[in-house]
Amino acid sequence: MLNRNARLTAAAVIAATGIALTGCTGSTEASTSGPVKITFWGWASGYEKSVALWNESHPDIQVKYEAIANGGAGGYDKMLTAAKAGTAPCLTQIGYETFSSFLAAGMLQDVSQYVKPQRAEFPDWVWGNVGIDGAAYGVPVDTAPMGMFYRSDLFTAAGIAVPKTWEEFKAAAAAVKTADPKARIMNLPTDPYLYAGFAWQGDAPWFGVNGDAWTVSLDSAAGSTVAGYWQDLFDQDLVTSHPAFDAALYSAWSNGKVWAEVGPVWSASLIRDNAAGSAGKWAVAAMPRWGTTDAVGNSGGSATAVMKDCANPKEATEFAMWMSTNDTSVSNLIESAAILPASTSGLANAALDKPESYYGGQAIYQLFRTESAKVNSSWRWGPVMSTTAAALGDGLGKVHTKSATFQDALGRAQTDTVSALTTQGFSVSK
Amino acid sequence: MSHVTIQRRSRRRELRRAAPFVLPFLLLFVVVYLVPTGYSVVESFFSLKRSGLGLGGAETVFAGFGNYVRVFQDGDFIASLGRVTFIGVIQVPVMLGIALILALLIDSSVSTGRKFFRVAYFVPYGLPGVIAALVWSFLYAPTLSPITGFFASIGIDVSFVTDGALPFSIANILTWAWTGYNTILIFAALQAIPEETMEAAALDGCSGWKAALLIKVPLIRPALLLTLVFSIIGTFQLYNEPVTMKSVAPNLPSTYTPIMAALRSLTANDFNYAAAQSVVLGALICVLSVFVFRASARRVD
Repeated sequence: MLNRNARLTAAAVIAATGIALTGCTGSTEASTSGPVKITFWGWASGYEKSVALWNESHPDIQVKYEAIANGGAGGYDKMLTAAKAGTAPCLTQIGYETFSSFLAAGMLQDVSQYVKPQRAEFPDWVWGNVGIDGAAYGVPVDTAPMGMFYRSDLFTAAGIAVPKTWEEFKAAAAAVKTADPKARIMNLPTDPYLYAGFAWQGDAPWFGVNGDAWTVSLDSAAGSTVAGYWQDLFDQDLVTSHPAFDAALYSAWSNGKVWAEVGPVWSASLIRDNAAGSAGKWAVAAMPRWGTTDAVGNSGGSATAVMKDCANPKEATEFAMWMSTNDTSVSNLIESAAILPASTSGLANAALDKPESYYGGQAIYQLFRTESAKVNSSWRWGPVMSTTAAALGDGLGKVHTKSATFQDALGRAQTDTVSALTTQGFSVSK
Repeated sequence: MSHVTIQRRSRRRELRRAAPFVLPFLLLFVVVYLVPTGYSVVESFFSLKRSGLGLGGAETVFAGFGNYVRVFQDGDFIASLGRVTFIGVIQVPVMLGIALILALLIDSSVSTGRKFFRVAYFVPYGLPGVIAALVWSFLYAPTLSPITGFFASIGIDVSFVTDGALPFSIANILTWAWTGYNTILIFAALQAIPEETMEAAALDGCSGWKAALLIKVPLIRPALLLTLVFSIIGTFQLYNEPVTMKSVAPNLPSTYTPIMAALRSLTANDFNYAAAQSVVLGALICVLSVFVFRASARRVD
């Protein structure tokens, strides 16, 4: 009797332990024999296929791709927790805007020596997004230079010339309102990362590195010029104030109530997929310039980062470099994820010359190919971007309800960022 | 003496018999409940120290009550506590009031279609919280809302997403989603009241609304208390509704509720501070629940 009870107890305990343990199987890597195994976390469509292409031709280095949630939608949190628990994969997809945060958290591995031979593949401003002082902690995949998407039918009908400078843009904004009192030229940029693209172009970097310390300059004079410009358009009631990525904005694009969008290259698919009603009526022009300065902003783009605990950084880097530069892989990425390749060889890909029917048959990626060489190179992302972006986003969200200005938002983001940095022990230089 | 020994022995035997049934639960309880809670508490007493650009990684240092001092100096976190308190104070009484009335109506013998209403009130609770919040977001969105559109057409400017309106808009979603759930809980308690009690009351000339208020309500006090405590906890843990509404109300700050604030710290890779925020929130809810239970127990005596 006792014996049977004891056995029952043991069985129950074992069963319960089994349930408890299945939840925490770690990733197993680095086997002693056989092919090198590398795990890769990402979310962009097309990565899985590029990985499959690699695995076919590289039997010695097998990459295991695991699709995770988009970085901002929980993917980064997953990586942070995995790194803390020691179960992080070898490679991860990280957007440039978050790259510095991972770098400053000490979660990435310096792979400069492995990328050195192909240094010339990417322009310096792109390398600046994946490392500090010439070091590299990953391989860039794509960039997102900005351009101006506009309703060519409406601009032509109203006889308004396509603005080439921000001065002309303001005049055009007034002309649009005159032509159709219910329409505006553009929606107010209130998404912090989209807004960053405007600061980026305006030579108003938010962060910098001064020796062994970070500099924070969201509230710089150049930043105020950009902020003042948008505040002025808003105060004169020349822009709409829909939330970013909102259905109301999409329908305004579709039914001709918002005539243009100055946004990154990926706005092309954002507009195409959400404003189907205005197919064929859009066109793309270069981003308006500040006076005679021939520079554009960038908003987006990502890299394949090598995580700190990766046991095979050389092989991992080799794969990452291949994914970003190999012709078949790049063609696949352009095809399925509509990316603008970061590499020089990738930019030469013929897939970018394809005319886009949504944009009236214009080969829009040719424009972005040219513009990507003109991205302002002074920009640097900061080490606590989620704090900076949350603070700025909160502030920008208040602009449209008129309870704050762009300048207030930048000021608050500056304070919050500096205080987050100092609390965590980073050196901040004034 | 021998009687005690026998009792002790039989007790031990009972324990041994119960073990296979209790141990799995105990083990899971420890693994998924006590350990994480303890882990958070431990984490909250440490912090990461970096230096320079931070490239060298961080070392974990003992911070004492440092994170807790930060919590109580964090204006955003304090404001988030204030917000959920405000929403709770206006929403919980309204919701429980409606739930009580509806439960009494379903329970009363005069009402028709009781089965239908019992299910109808419960339906909103069956919808996942995020879906409900999403649907309401569309009803609130300034440019899409049919309600705003209707008022605009008769010349009245209404917005559900101004800073001042947000707490009420959120309270409305909560009430819509949770009233039915509370109604069912209260209704179940009403069903448990013995028939004889009500018959006796009727014989004494107490019936209708009077009987409901003077006899039924005091009898179901434990159920009411339970719904009250659940509702308070729910309000303090508010998350789905404000996060979903943020897409139509950009003026809703990212630290609107305590859990949103803690999650923001987590996303900022500030695990230790997030742990301290969570511990403070948990402790507050605990204290509040105990306080409510105690206060009402005293009144029963």
